[in-house]
Formats: sequence, C-alpha cells, structure tokens
Amino acid sequence: MEWLIKKAEELARKHGLDYYEIRLVKVTSRRLVMSNGQLRELSSNSELGIGARAFNGTWGFSSANDRERFEKAIETAMKIAKLSRGDAKIYLGEPVRDKVELKVKKPFTEIDIEEKLSLVKEIDGLLRGEKIVSRSVNYGDSIVETFYFNSLGSEIRTVVPRIRLGFSVTARENGEMQDFWKSFGGTLGWELIEGINLDHWTAHVKEKALELLRASSPPSGEMDVIADPELTGVFIHEALGHAVEADSVKNGDSILAGRLGERIAVEGLNVVDDPTLPGKFGSYPYDDEGIKAKRVEIIKDGVLVSYLNDRETAEYFGLEPNGHARAESYSHQPLVRMGNTYVEPGDWSFEEILEEVKNGLYMLGDKGGEVDTANGTFTFGAKLGYIVENGEIKEPVRDVALSGKILDVLKNIRAIGNDTRVEFPGYCGKGQWVPVDDGGPHILTRALVGGLR
Amino acid sequence: MIEAVERLVKLLESENVEWEVFYQFGRSGSFRIERETLERSQRKFYSGIGLRVGLKGRLGFSYITGLHPSEEELKKLVERAVKLAKISEVPFRGFPASGRVNRVRGIYDRTIDEIPFEEAHRLALEYAELMQEKKGEETLSGSLSLAVGTSGVVNSNGIELEERSTYMGVSAYAVISEPPGTGSYRQSFTSLQPVEELERAVEKAVDEARLSARAKKLESYSGELVLEPNALASLIEVFLSNLYGDEVYHGRSRFSKPGDEIGSFTLVDDSTLPALPGSYSFDGEGVPGQRTVLVGDGIVRNFLLDHTYASFLGMESTGNALRTFRSVPYIGTSNLILEPGDESLEDYEGVIVRKVFGEHTANPVSGDFSLTVELGYVIENGELKPFKDNMLVGNVFELLRTLKPGRKVERISSFVSPRGLVEGRLV
Repeated sequence: MEWLIKKAEELARKHGLDYYEIRLVKVTSRRLVMSNGQLRELSSNSELGIGARAFNGTWGFSSANDRERFEKAIETAMKIAKLSRGDAKIYLGEPVRDKVELKVKKPFTEIDIEEKLSLVKEIDGLLRGEKIVSRSVNYGDSIVETFYFNSLGSEIRTVVPRIRLGFSVTARENGEMQDFWKSFGGTLGWELIEGINLDHWTAHVKEKALELLRASSPPSGEMDVIADPELTGVFIHEALGHAVEADSVKNGDSILAGRLGERIAVEGLNVVDDPTLPGKFGSYPYDDEGIKAKRVEIIKDGVLVSYLNDRETAEYFGLEPNGHARAESYSHQPLVRMGNTYVEPGDWSFEEILEEVKNGLYMLGDKGGEVDTANGTFTFGAKLGYIVENGEIKEPVRDVALSGKILDVLKNIRAIGNDTRVEFPGYCGKGQWVPVDDGGPHILTRALVGGLR
Repeated sequence: MIEAVERLVKLLESENVEWEVFYQFGRSGSFRIERETLERSQRKFYSGIGLRVGLKGRLGFSYITGLHPSEEELKKLVERAVKLAKISEVPFRGFPASGRVNRVRGIYDRTIDEIPFEEAHRLALEYAELMQEKKGEETLSGSLSLAVGTSGVVNSNGIELEERSTYMGVSAYAVISEPPGTGSYRQSFTSLQPVEELERAVEKAVDEARLSARAKKLESYSGELVLEPNALASLIEVFLSNLYGDEVYHGRSRFSKPGDEIGSFTLVDDSTLPALPGSYSFDGEGVPGQRTVLVGDGIVRNFLLDHTYASFLGMESTGNALRTFRSVPYIGTSNLILEPGDESLEDYEGVIVRKVFGEHTANPVSGDFSLTVELGYVIENGELKPFKDNMLVGNVFELLRTLKPGRKVERISSFVSPRGLVEGRLV
C-alpha cells in the first residue's frame, strides 16, 4: 500500500491537485442459488479493484481491476480533474486514521461451502408442499475489505461482512399463481442463519402464498391504509428518504428543497437514518468518502431537521457532514445514499390503530417502491393485505401497489405504533445498488390504492 | 484470442474436463451534468476472464479480474473451477458446438473507439452549454457516455469467437419546481452521434417537463386508451418474465410450452438488427445471434433460451445467454420489437399514457399491476390536457389481449415499438 500512497502524492504534486481520495477494495463472496431442488449457482470468488477520485471544483474519477492499471487509474482521475475545473467546494475536515472491523460472533468464512449447500437443500426441502409449484433459495455472503486514503492524510481500513438468505415459493391453483418470499440479512456472521426458525418461516411463506391464491384484488381509490413495520420501512424510504438525499436537493430534484426547519409531517413523527446500528444490512463504519457514519435525525416531531449528505453537499448547504456517501463498488463514484432508515415508535398499540379504521386496508410486506422526488410522487408495493371494516380484519387482498404525494401522506399519518422493527434487508437502486435496511412501527395513513375492483 | 486466454486454454487442454472461457475488456468515459454544469467526469477500465468447467455432468464456475494473470493465478483459477464442479451439483448440459456466425453490421464505430478523452470531455462541455442555452425556468441535468468493449468465447467444442462493439448513451432530465414538473429523455446508440441528438434530448425533456408542470390528476377513467411506447415498455416488462426459459422450466411462468394464445400482437427478440444497442453476432455462450418470434400474431411461439434451459426444455437455444465475465450466463433480451399494426394512432383523440413507473411492484405470475402515471394527456378537439399521479391498474394478460399496435414505431434504446391501443383503467 505504501507505494500507492507515495505514488498518489507524487502524481498530485505533478498535476497540481489539492484533493484526491483512493479506495482499494477487495471483495470475497460466495453465492448459492437453488430452484426446485436443482442447484443453479455455486460460486466463490474474490477480486481487487481501485477507484480513484480527484477534485478540482468538479470530480474526476477512474477505476480499474487489473493491477497493472492501478497507478494509471490514479493518474487518469487526476488528469480528468485537471481538465475539468469547476467552482464547487467540498468539506475537507481533519485527517482520520482508523481501522474498523465489524465484528461477528461466528464468521461465515469458517463455515464450509458444503454446510452452506446443505442449508440451501434443507430449506428447499422445507418449502415443498401441496400446490407449491416452484421453490427458490438464495444464499450469499461477502467480505468487503477497503483501504481508503486521501490527500489530507486519512488512512482508513474497514472490514464489512454481509450475509443474506432469501427464499420464495410460487403456489398455483386453477390457473392462478402467486408468490411469497422472505429475506434475512445483516452485517453479521453465521449466527444470523442459526437464529432463524426455518420451520416457522418456510411454513409462513407457503401459507401466505396459498392465502394469496384465495385473495381478491382490493378496491381502488384513496383510502385509509395501515402499513405493517416492513411496509412502513419501504414507505418511509421512498416517501421521504430519497427526497432528503442532499444531492437531489442540490440539483433541484427534490420537493423538499428549501424546507429545512419546516413542519412537513404530523407532530410526533420521528424519522432516523442510522448506519451505525449493529448488525443491520445497511450498516457501515465509514462511508466511501472516508467520513464516519452517523445517526441522522431526518424528521424530528414532524419537522424536517436534516438532509443526508456527502462532502460536497455538506459544504454546499453548510451542514455537518454525516457520512452518507456510498458507492456500489470500487468502480463507482459515491452518491448520497441511505443506510438503515426507520420511523421511531409512537404510542399507539396495533389494536388501537386497527380500531381507528372504519373502511380501509391493512397492507403487509415490502415489494419495493419507486419515487419521483421532483414531482413528489411515490409508489410502493405490498406483498399482501386485508380489508379492514369497523376495526376488524376481513378477507385477504393481493397484488397491490399504493401511491401518494410525499407532502400529503406525511401529513396524513394518523397513528404511529409502538412496535418499531428494523429488520427488512434489501438493495436500493439509484443508478447503483447498495444494501439498505429499513423499518418502523405500524402506521396509519391515507394513500391511493391501485386495486382492480 | 488474447495472450492470457491462450495460456489458460493450454492449461485446460491438459485437464480431462470440458471447458468454456469467456473474457471481456473495455473502457468507458462518462460525464454527468448537473444544473447545466459538467460536475463529474470519469474513465473506467475493466477486464476479466470467466471459466466454466464441466465434469461428470456437473458445472463449476470461477473468474479472475484483469488480463495479466501470472501462471500461478491461472492454475488456481482452473483448480477452483474444477473443485467447484466436483462439489457443486449444478447440472452440466454440455457447451454449444460451433455454428455459423453472421457478423452483425454497425455495432462498432471506430470514432468512438479512438476518440481521445479530451474530445469526449469537450462534447460533454458542449452538451452542458446547450443546456444553458435552452434553459427556461427548468433546471437541467443529464449524462453522456461513450464506451468500447470486446468480448470473446472459446470452448472445448471448437468455438472461438471475439467481437468488439461500441456504445453511446445520452440522457437529459428537466425539472420545474413550481408547480412541480419533470421531463426526461434517454437514448442509446452504437455510433457517435452529431450534436443534434443532444439538442433533441434537451428539447424532449424540456417539453415534457412543461407538460408535467401543467398536469393534474384525472378523474377515474375506464375504457379505450393509448399507451405510448415508453408505457408499453413497462407493461411488456411485467409480461416478459413469463417468456424466460428458466422461469418456464421452474414453473414460474403462465406458459409451459409454446402455443398459448394471448392476443393479436407480434413480439420479437432480434440480436441481428444492424446498429442497435442490443445487437450481437453471438451470445455469451458463442451461440449465433438470431431473430426469435416470441409472440406471433398473438400466439406464444418461443421462449428466450440459453443452451442449458433449451436443453432442459427440449428446445434449441435462441442465443439469449447474456453475461459478464463475473457471471455464468443468464437469460435476457437483446433488442425487443413490438411489430407495428394497422391502427393509425398518431392523431388519436382521447386518453394517452406516456410514462408509468413502479413496474417491479407488479406481479408477473398473476399479471396484476398498479402503476403510477408519471405523465399522460387527454386530447379533445385538438386540445391537449396533461395529467399525472393517477394509477394505471389492470391485469397484464387481459390488457395485452386487447392490444392493437399502431403503425409508426419509435425506438427507446433496444426497445422498438409503436403506440398501442388498449382497454385500460385509471384510478
């Protein structure tokens, strides 16, 4: 590493550049995929790559994965920066020297690939059942070792382990087909797998897929919706999280631009993004610009109090840097991203929330979402739902996406449950994919339901 | 064949296994413009070699990055892939044998390959200036990228193929803040385009943002409506997973064999079309690219297949194995063509949906979808009233049953489609 640091210094002097940062990343990963008892993939690989950025009022970036090109990548980033020259500024701060390894109880690297294969087979067996026409199991783990250094003298070494397990079934009856699935994941070791009650969750997945076969499409129109903790997670991620990413705000692409300090949601709503939560899927110790990850209060008692930022947007808005610049890999430039986003608990019990609803829906599970931050419209999908009438849960409904206006639905929240859970791992796309977690309690709001009835 | 692959092949020939080497190398330059200013420029290099090994009916896969491996690294790559083949239990159905490959024209442009970075950077600056000129009350952003890549397949059945292709991508995005409105445009090419293409991108995004800022939510509507190619692309995406060979084989498709009737349209996958960004002469396994009628006159005629799933289903590969050196082949589309029909929809008066989003929340196996309308408009007596924020809801199988394609096609990167008349519902 020393030669690379020296080389970067030399090149920066030669090109007259003040700021650069370099990430040298080694990824070791394993992946097993099984469909209907048949193994589709079993892979175990590692690779090393470099991502170099230099700043000259704009960013120049270059990446390479052939060792013979590492030095050239650094020089290319610097040449590009020199060529570009802009008038943006970035937060620099003090140099950081640190070494952090996210500790796990039982490293998955010590588990043989044969044992991982037998786990996948065991789950495949448990997923078998009447009317279940297709089964799928997906296991993956990775260790990302990053050596970050910059022209300020920061030198940060991090080791982040990540593990995930997901399984799904397709049920079929009378030509109708329905899926259901469940995912687990975290910056954890094999203890994650050992902590899963496989009998319970495989039975749950099958039962819900069969229940969906009997479900009908919900009514459509604007109505009361209770979201479960998993759906609250995707709701807050889409309805708020993306719009408070400060690069969107800076680029005139967010409906929340200029609203810091303003009440944008109901009193009592508190939303946090916290990459420092131990063991969560979206956790990390330092971001990809060498800034320490921080818990950020986004909404405090209904008031927008902060944006998520990177070195550039922190300087631009005069905000405290909060370590939310993340890159998919060494060959990607960091963008402002979420980590673990969630709604803090309120004081309603689930039963009390249910009683509030005369005519509405209880929607469960996360099927992903999408947002148009500039128009302020978002969509999110639920895995399944139930009609609610006079506080009682009635028949199941299926295949539904909901839509709303960011500024309306945050104000339309009528109840915030006391049962926050943050355990719904996934990947978030914004041109690049990064692992995130989200969650919250049960909440009650209004949204446009796109049912077929 | 590159030198490292030649060395790897020599090592493999002394092993008692079947093998396939897939390699890639290339570079890209891309530029990101934000608020009409060039903010981020990058130049990336990538290269790597993926190796599949077949042994006693089982398959092992491993890869390395870079094209300058030591002998030791190559030996380890072979050892790893062989070891995985021994324990993996991934079924091995043989590798394709060499067939006649016709070279697709127009997928390589020397000017993109040889353009100096400084010149590409100048083009990006010109793009940013164009945005400054054309800017009204909108905030404009966008991107420009140029890339060249080479990929090659060599296997123990005699396949030895290599192909170089180039790419140019352009996008523009316009935002009006009060009242909020957004417009976007995206296109890709295989050759370097004149500056008029950049102008077109900005103009289209601006026009759309202005429409979007005027758009209000529409009353609920049910009946005949027209989907523009962009919206049709979203719905066809929901439907398409039913035509993937692996989904069919694993029981996750509506169809189990060709022959089902689903409407009256024709949908084709064609990797042999000249100068389209989805084109290739051979796929990731060395199977020649081809034109495949997926749905012909409303009947399912074929599925998207690679060598493995074609073999499982007792069919022939359609040359749709996509991959990178990091991955085993996976099934995907090349260029997707919805064939034009007889309807004249250019002067259609009524409800027209331009763009929807949220297709990944839809359920491809049941076919039910509810998608947010990003932009649509109603034309009445020549007057245009834009709308947005409704949801387009329905079942994709039922909707496609009513689809009547228009005459004039439009290309959105590797998707070519006319407008389509359907029975639909907005809430």
